[in-house]
Amino acid sequence: MKKYVAIFAVSWENEFVYRLNFVLWRFRNVVRLLLTFFLWKGLLTSNSNVFGYSKSEMFAYVFLVLLVQSLVLSAPSADNVGGEISSGDLSNYLVKPIDYLKYWFTRDLSSKILNLVFAGVEIFFLWILLKPDIGIVFRISSGVGFAIALGLAVVIYFFLNVTTKFVAFWMPENTWGITFLTLVLIEMLAGVIFPIDVMPVWLKTTVQFTPFPYLVYYPIAILLGKLSGWGLIRILLQSCAWMILMFFAAKLIWKRGLFNYQSEGR
Amino acid sequence: MGSIRSLVKRKHRLVKAVDGVSFEIDEGELVGFIGPNGAGKTTTLKVLSGLLYPSSGAVSVLGYIPSERKTVYQKQFSLIMGQKNQLWWDLPAMESFILNKEIYEVPDRDFRETVGGLAELLEVEDILKVQVRKLSLGQRMKCELIAALIHSPKILFLDEPTIGLDVVMQKKMRDFIREYNRQKRATILLTSHYMDDVKELCKRVIIIDRGKILFDGDLLEIIERYADHKLLTVVFAKKIDEKKLVKIGELREYNFPRAVISVKRSAVSVAAAELLQEYPVADLNIEEERIEDIIREVFSGKEIA
Repeated sequence: MKKYVAIFAVSWENEFVYRLNFVLWRFRNVVRLLLTFFLWKGLLTSNSNVFGYSKSEMFAYVFLVLLVQSLVLSAPSADNVGGEISSGDLSNYLVKPIDYLKYWFTRDLSSKILNLVFAGVEIFFLWILLKPDIGIVFRISSGVGFAIALGLAVVIYFFLNVTTKFVAFWMPENTWGITFLTLVLIEMLAGVIFPIDVMPVWLKTTVQFTPFPYLVYYPIAILLGKLSGWGLIRILLQSCAWMILMFFAAKLIWKRGLFNYQSEGR
Repeated sequence: MGSIRSLVKRKHRLVKAVDGVSFEIDEGELVGFIGPNGAGKTTTLKVLSGLLYPSSGAVSVLGYIPSERKTVYQKQFSLIMGQKNQLWWDLPAMESFILNKEIYEVPDRDFRETVGGLAELLEVEDILKVQVRKLSLGQRMKCELIAALIHSPKILFLDEPTIGLDVVMQKKMRDFIREYNRQKRATILLTSHYMDDVKELCKRVIIIDRGKILFDGDLLEIIERYADHKLLTVVFAKKIDEKKLVKIGELREYNFPRAVISVKRSAVSVAAAELLQEYPVADLNIEEERIEDIIREVFSGKEIA
């Protein structure tokens, strides 16, 4: 345990080296919030209701995306694991008494906490600046469901992310392609830009059978009270199933990958 | 066209990197592993460190199977590759040391002693708090070395430990390796392109080429076994006809007044006598062939007895 605390500490320190990088990454998220906020603001009048969302619910959704994605989608592992496998830097970890997946999960956590702090500050200022009229009813059950869904989302994303990067074990030259593909799928299907309710029914139904909406959309929908009772429990169970599935997929492919690992680049 | 074809269908060729390499090393030995580029040296070290799974055969180090990557084993060795970095690029080297201390679960006191001792020995005490990216190559290599030794490993796998270092640093590195071997009774297996590394450090060498072991034994034995020629270096007092020298033996070089002739061992005394009698010789020297040359000959496919 102590070694992972040390990894957390070093990783935290490392995050501060690329301050400008970090600020720009945060800036991108803020710009997206502004864009979607003004879009919905222009489209919705105060008593209109689109795709089952009132104006204030949609505003709440837009703000919650900033919070949720800071926690779920910020992960330095996404930028590094593929590269480390193809360059052979993975060898540095393999010769040490350390678990590579736990190592990266720890580093992700340190990044998530930093991002969360920034997201809080950003939301505070944007709230003052934009004065969205958000009046949603908060229920304890939604809050608890949200927390659980969020925790599951963090884990699902981690395993989903590393599993796709493990492609590098077989095709060291192709990591960028698959990275880009997952990035696009997440942007479109996870509910980052708009809630998946916007999609046609057949697509929305299909998307439920992918892990993506469990990352951003469902946690927010739960908090907004869009799901309750049995519906809520069903989504949480499906989320659990995805977590277990992605966990075993990651472990299996990791093991296979290591057999195939060439430890290249000297 | 070729590149388009390779986009659709790639041809793969299976190449054996090491094949039937078999050796045993005792505790406290310092063994040199030499061979040309691509001979399989690094591959062998990777197998010993558990990075690669051997497709056949058995490997055992300290009684452990490296590819199982057991913590008890990992705490006892270190793989140091001259061109691979483990230090955190953007942080001072000290941060990486502390991280390794935790990873290898080294007690505080041992950690302070190791880092203090090594930093003093390698003269890097004043740069441990400087961002690694700002260090020179030599400074960085020294820090890499310290990072790899935090857990005081009993076994070192050194892959090209002196690559890219200047002559002074190379010597220091060699001195260091020798000391480490002596003081800790550490077992060291090192690969190098530089014959000097091997000559100075290792009594025993393993020569490997194209994945196969060509020689395993005492460095001096190579000379006895493979050097069937000796070198006569002659300094002439007057210019002589080059062509005549060819009769004595294989003329390696002739640059008046100096000539180097390679002669069969058995014919050395006759050749020397002939030279002294028939030519105006100012100086004559009989030497063994340089070990580099012998090994080069071994590599260039001379039959091995």
